[in-house]
Amino acid sequence: MIISDAVPPLKVSHLTKKYRLPSGDFFEAVSDISFEVKAGECFGLLGPNGAGKSTSIQCITGFYPATSGQVFIQGQDVHAVPKLARQHLGVSPQEDTLDSDFNVFDQLVRHATFFRVDVAEGRVRAQKLLRQFGLEDKAKQPVESLSGGMRRRLQVARALISRPQVLVLDEPTTGLDPDARRVLWEVLTQCRKDGLAVLLSTHYMDEAERLCDRIAIINQGKILDIQSPADLIAKYISQPLIEETIRPGTVWKRPPNLEDVYLKLTGSKLGVNGL
Amino acid sequence: MKLPRSRQLPRPMRLPDSVWAIRCVWLRYFDVFRKSIFYYLVTTFSEPVLYLLSFGLGVGSLIGNLQVHGNSVSYRSFIFSGIIGQTLLFQGFFEASYGAFIRMYYQKIFQAMAITPITLSEVLWGELLWDAGKATVAAEVVTIMGVATGDFRPISLIAILPLAFLAALLFSGMGLTVAAYSKTIEQISYPQYLLVFPMFLFCGVFYPIENLPLAAQAVAWIFPLTSVVSLSRTITLGFPFEAQAVPLLLVWVVGLVWVSRSAMVRRLVK
Repeated sequence: MIISDAVPPLKVSHLTKKYRLPSGDFFEAVSDISFEVKAGECFGLLGPNGAGKSTSIQCITGFYPATSGQVFIQGQDVHAVPKLARQHLGVSPQEDTLDSDFNVFDQLVRHATFFRVDVAEGRVRAQKLLRQFGLEDKAKQPVESLSGGMRRRLQVARALISRPQVLVLDEPTTGLDPDARRVLWEVLTQCRKDGLAVLLSTHYMDEAERLCDRIAIINQGKILDIQSPADLIAKYISQPLIEETIRPGTVWKRPPNLEDVYLKLTGSKLGVNGL
Repeated sequence: MKLPRSRQLPRPMRLPDSVWAIRCVWLRYFDVFRKSIFYYLVTTFSEPVLYLLSFGLGVGSLIGNLQVHGNSVSYRSFIFSGIIGQTLLFQGFFEASYGAFIRMYYQKIFQAMAITPITLSEVLWGELLWDAGKATVAAEVVTIMGVATGDFRPISLIAILPLAFLAALLFSGMGLTVAAYSKTIEQISYPQYLLVFPMFLFCGVFYPIENLPLAAQAVAWIFPLTSVVSLSRTITLGFPFEAQAVPLLLVWVVGLVWVSRSAMVRRLVK
């Protein structure tokens, strides 16, 4: 593993992405976002649907060209030298991109070859990952036979087969049951112990609060703030207790959480009263 | 941080990056092929063989000899040679239209591969070369059968390969263009019925286009299958060389490969 203190594994610098809508107008989906993710850190992108999280991630992986700004993975510019930069990058996209022409095990081995990992080594890694993700007994099964949670786990396992230094997960736990989420969380903890830099986009506040060292709250393509979850709560919510009417006549008092910050910053009308 | 190249990509014998990447994509297709070889053998080779048997033996025995360009040739030889063009058209077009649409739209494997050290451009080259390679092999199988039955000149076995590969690339480019512009898989039927089947019926596979009115001949030459079938007859049966076929073929190959690739990139990348 190559970890350098001088160069962050992932550095996003003034990334802007505009594209033309079918109407002919330009739409700025991502506006001048900048952040770094250190080795062993989990960095969260939190924002409502359509905030620009996925477009940002498509630019960070180099699949979309950036309108301006740069993305560096292990110091390599992902748009200028995508082959070198992406050698260090593992991605689990938001949509299911598993290759249904291969069974669970062969899928991982085949994917490893895209990173110049030979088949023998790929098999060893695949076996280890399937064990880690609790998919060992599914190795010879076709992908179609897996449940949604298993497919998601397999897609994250696939992102790790190349032993990347940067792991990008776009809403990895959307639609998963609590059990499947736990498995992913445990693996993430292990990855961070191994020094991976993790970029995570999510809708789940509890997940972001629990997993992320720092969070960027993103809305309408702009980063509104970057802080640790605790600092975000301290900065934006002054009340020690939040009162919420949860049923007619029943008022809950609870400490503020990340969701309150999120709703306040992204200006949702569904927010809690009085914040 | 710039690492020494040898540490980034540990491999003693390194191909140039793009060649390696395209080969890598191609090997993914080959692996799928290998795993379901029986399916591919049936779907790839049964069709030309059935055409050969039905038209060659069935219709061929009714018609006997044709006079084309002053040569006398049996209808069986004539149609065998046309079936080479038909095989290239169908194999190239269908694999690159329906096949690539499924890979791009349902399986999303283009999107999965193009965020590894392989670029989208290389993924699309791999796709086109796989589709074209498979159609070329199918056309070679038809040629082998034609030589075995004594209908084709033996030199065809080798001489057909460059034509077959270029034509296969052309029809694969046509298929991939259709895949790139189709919003749903059903929409692929439009070019299938309005372009592919008319070419199959009017570009000289079944009868010499010299029998058509002049205006219809001119229209037929616009469509690339006419050039492919003309060159195929020159190679396999020794028919006179029709020089316009070569530039027409080349323009179509370059044009469709370019259009298909840029259309697919435009579809996938914002």
